[in-house]
Amino acid sequence: MNKIISKEYFSDKVVKLVVENPLIARSRKPGNFVILRIGEKGERFPLTIAGADPVKGTITLVVQIVGVSSSKLVALEPGDHITDLVGPLGKPTDIRKIGTVLAAGGGVGVAPLLPIIEAFKKAGNRVVTVIAARNKDLIILEDEAKKWSDELIIMTDDGSYGRKGLVTAGMEEIILREKIDECIVIGPAIMMKFASMLTKKYNIPTQASLNSIMVDGTGMCGACRVSVGGKLKFTCVEGPEFDAHQIDFDEMLMRLGGYKEEEKKANEIYSQKI
Amino acid sequence: MNPDILKEERNKEWRSELRSRIKAKERTNIPRVKMPELEPEIRVKYQNREVNKGLDVAQAQREASRCMDCANPTCMEGCPVSINIPKFIKNIERGEFLEAAAALKETSSLPAVCGRVCPQEKQCEAHCFYVDKLKKEAVAIGYLERFAADFERDSGKSNIPGTAKPNRIKVATVGSGPSALSFAGDMVKLGYDVTVFEALHEIGGVLKYGIPEFRLPNSVVDFELENLKKMGVKFQTNFIVGRTASFDDLKAQGFKGFFIGSGAGLPRFMDIPGENYNGIMSSNEYLTRVNLMDASSDNSDTPVIKGKRVAVVGGGNTAMDSVRTALRLGAERAIIIYRRSEAEMPARIEEVKHAKEEGVEFMTLCNPLEYFADSKGRVNKMRLNKMELGEPDASGRRRPVPMEGSEFELDVDLVIVAVGVSPNPLVPSCLPDLKVSRWGTIVVDEEKMQSSIPQMFAGGDIVRGGATVILAMGDGRKAAENMHLHLKNHSANH
Amino acid sequence: MSNLNVKYLGLDLKNPIIAGSCGLTNSIENLVALEKSGAGAVVLKSIFEEEIYLEYAHEFSQLGPLDNNLEFLDYYDYEIKKDNLKHYLDLVREAKSKLTIPVIASINCVTAQEWGFFAKKIEDAGADAIELNMFLLPSNLSHNSLDHERIFFDVVSRVASKVEIPVSLKISPYFSTLGSIIRDLSFSEIKGLVLFNKMYSADVDIESEKLIGTGVLSHGDDYRVSLRWIGMMAKRVNCDLSASTGVHSWQTIIKLLLAGANTVQIASVLYKEGFSVIEEFQENLQKWMSQHGYNSIKDFRGKLSLNNETNLAEYERVQFMRNFGDYK
Repeated sequence: MNKIISKEYFSDKVVKLVVENPLIARSRKPGNFVILRIGEKGERFPLTIAGADPVKGTITLVVQIVGVSSSKLVALEPGDHITDLVGPLGKPTDIRKIGTVLAAGGGVGVAPLLPIIEAFKKAGNRVVTVIAARNKDLIILEDEAKKWSDELIIMTDDGSYGRKGLVTAGMEEIILREKIDECIVIGPAIMMKFASMLTKKYNIPTQASLNSIMVDGTGMCGACRVSVGGKLKFTCVEGPEFDAHQIDFDEMLMRLGGYKEEEKKANEIYSQKI
Repeated sequence: MNPDILKEERNKEWRSELRSRIKAKERTNIPRVKMPELEPEIRVKYQNREVNKGLDVAQAQREASRCMDCANPTCMEGCPVSINIPKFIKNIERGEFLEAAAALKETSSLPAVCGRVCPQEKQCEAHCFYVDKLKKEAVAIGYLERFAADFERDSGKSNIPGTAKPNRIKVATVGSGPSALSFAGDMVKLGYDVTVFEALHEIGGVLKYGIPEFRLPNSVVDFELENLKKMGVKFQTNFIVGRTASFDDLKAQGFKGFFIGSGAGLPRFMDIPGENYNGIMSSNEYLTRVNLMDASSDNSDTPVIKGKRVAVVGGGNTAMDSVRTALRLGAERAIIIYRRSEAEMPARIEEVKHAKEEGVEFMTLCNPLEYFADSKGRVNKMRLNKMELGEPDASGRRRPVPMEGSEFELDVDLVIVAVGVSPNPLVPSCLPDLKVSRWGTIVVDEEKMQSSIPQMFAGGDIVRGGATVILAMGDGRKAAENMHLHLKNHSANH
Repeated sequence: MSNLNVKYLGLDLKNPIIAGSCGLTNSIENLVALEKSGAGAVVLKSIFEEEIYLEYAHEFSQLGPLDNNLEFLDYYDYEIKKDNLKHYLDLVREAKSKLTIPVIASINCVTAQEWGFFAKKIEDAGADAIELNMFLLPSNLSHNSLDHERIFFDVVSRVASKVEIPVSLKISPYFSTLGSIIRDLSFSEIKGLVLFNKMYSADVDIESEKLIGTGVLSHGDDYRVSLRWIGMMAKRVNCDLSASTGVHSWQTIIKLLLAGANTVQIASVLYKEGFSVIEEFQENLQKWMSQHGYNSIKDFRGKLSLNNETNLAEYERVQFMRNFGDYK
């Protein structure tokens, strides 16, 4: 169990892993995530499930190398085992037939977006997807996204691929030309904040999938707490998706930086070791 | 425990002989033993050195000789798991320490744990003959329990209690904390095929993530777990019942009964301004990082914030554990902030005493109002109110009332909110038919520990809110006894 | 038809009749019915600090042997408070979604501490204004009048500093220098003063020799204290004035408006006569206005308020002597 079946580099920082775990593959729904641990001294960290094959008994994870834990995960090779893997966690996305869905994925956020747009498409919706990244190298899963979208728009900050501009520019263009019934945004917190501000202007119900810091992932510790509509919610049990217009993004961004010092130090030590 | 069995045990020759060896007056003149403790200056430097060092053989036997081996042992009334207290103590007195351990294991699955964390002063020792009749200090039942369990562990000659012939009936626990382990121990003895499912990557629940190393070393817990494994209990980590597989899936796999011991793993916050700043966390988060993930050590990847001026809000054992951990992690000031007076703190007196010796400051009759942070969102100050005790309410406790105009500020860089925990909602949310109280606790028939779903029993914090390890164990035992009856009747009807 | 529009706390009301905070303004069904009956605005039932404590004490006594659950129960009142507050915010939100008239939330508190924080949540939930109800009997023997008064200013400033929506304050007449207090409070952060609170009084049952509560409903004459002080202070204050207690008839409403009230709040009469009484009041108000030649409320509001030049104390003495003395 938890054996790495295959590994593929999308870029030097973004890796796709297929992991054997029949139980999770079977019970997982779009929007769910897992908590992993690499090595006996590893920390627990979350990753959204980007896909699953219940028949083969595998799940797909897409990892961006940002620190020690993601580096350790990416250093594993097919045949290696992930020390601990638990899931599926979080509330699954509320998939229904509503009309037209605008999906926006920033950077590695496209990976968790995939199962959601697939589900919305299968439910009979029109799906318009915008994927964005800083540059061409960081655009991932384009073909998979295209497969499940009626229309796919690619935006890069520097214009090296697709159109030049931020994800919000791409979104706004779509909003102005057709009626959008619901929007889903996944990506770096700051991207979700601005995307949410945009859709709020146009009164489009929007869900954002948050990437809060987690320790246990089962609602036990409160590290992932976020204010939604003035109420305290735990990302790991009541999320990871919330009504974007009610999320206190500023507070969330501040909390994401909670262990910055420690993370930086740990990363330095780790890079010296390898 | 069956009074006839008690009587039979008591009438055994070795017991009668032991009783007659020392005169009653001599026994009662012996003062209660003092537990050797690691010096405060040393122990605050180490997260993983136990404060209570344990009795040595001479101390243990002398203390054991104080026990009068009463015909009617009132101490047993105070024990939630019905340990045959006189039997194990008299075995210590006569030098049969392994026998003593075996006596403990007849009813308790975790004797080394209980000996360390039970509030004996409120349970068995509170009903000791010495307290009731002589108004003297009780026999140190807790210290003796620990002595026997530790002796057995260190001897390498662990007794594995016998199990009945396997009946091939599969039962499962949800959670691997004290209630579930206790349930598992009793069920496996009855011949059941028991699987313990645990959501985290380590088994033991609050014993591992909640109680610090300096009170209950994880190695002690692991040893007890090994014994359960040797008895045949199966353990499955990284498995969330209701999510990884549903209850229906497990039923389809043949599980006939479930014990829900998923605990009170839901942190509570006070909902005051600034509580979401960085550096303010629940005691669950803090203790999990340090105890479960070993965050204080350099070779663990999990970070923990090591504050220099640490405030812990609360007055229970969890608050004590948190504040003493903070001290060990290098705090220059570690402060307990509790809104009532010291006399009303729920924490064990021993824990408060140890905390004071170690240099923890106690700001009682104080309550936080608001937190402030620096430009990066890291807490740097808190505002508090002084409180005074007002009229007693219906429960008899005097109510803390804010003193007008008494506000003051305190510089802090780490705040632990230890105001209690609530039942974790994950499992109940997977069972819509399960009757749950307004506060999230699973409603059970208190005699049987059976929930509104017949094949689901529950116990421990998920039923009680937040209580002690030993009560959780008592629940586990009761549930095992009743699930056994339920399954027997059930299969008899088919 | 004359127009009954008024402005209160900066909000536009279609008439000056407000359904005041009482047991009837605590459910969405009632609130919708009150709007239908013509209320110009509603003030939600107060959320009480004391209520939370009483419920806590009750829960405490219910939950098993004390010692074993003490750690769980020790701070449980915070949980109860969160739960109660959650329900209150849900009520505010629902009221705002179903009503078109202004929804004013009400907080009944004796200390400022946590209410500023909660006031912000009430604002986020959509309330149009907050009415602070401070029923503080000056019975604390260690306080002098300044100490007592300071509490009010303290609470007001703490709450008002946390929100943008208007805050009003309902007080009792128990102040040694009521005139100054009304004036000074009107110059603080509040946008309205509600004069006055219905005093809950005790009585004695001589058969059982026990202290008992009296009925909670007001009587038709109870408006007189408000009438006098609104009459005296309307031209001297820097905020709106809302009359409360004893407003049982349309005549009383007109008296209070003439005295200078911007709005009136009714409660007991809703219990006694039902919601339809609001429509009656409106009809009669309009009839009176047309009989007296007024097109809008502002044409006659405050007509009888004492103007700035009148020395209040002298005026009072003259009236007193007129009625009770030999001078006629």
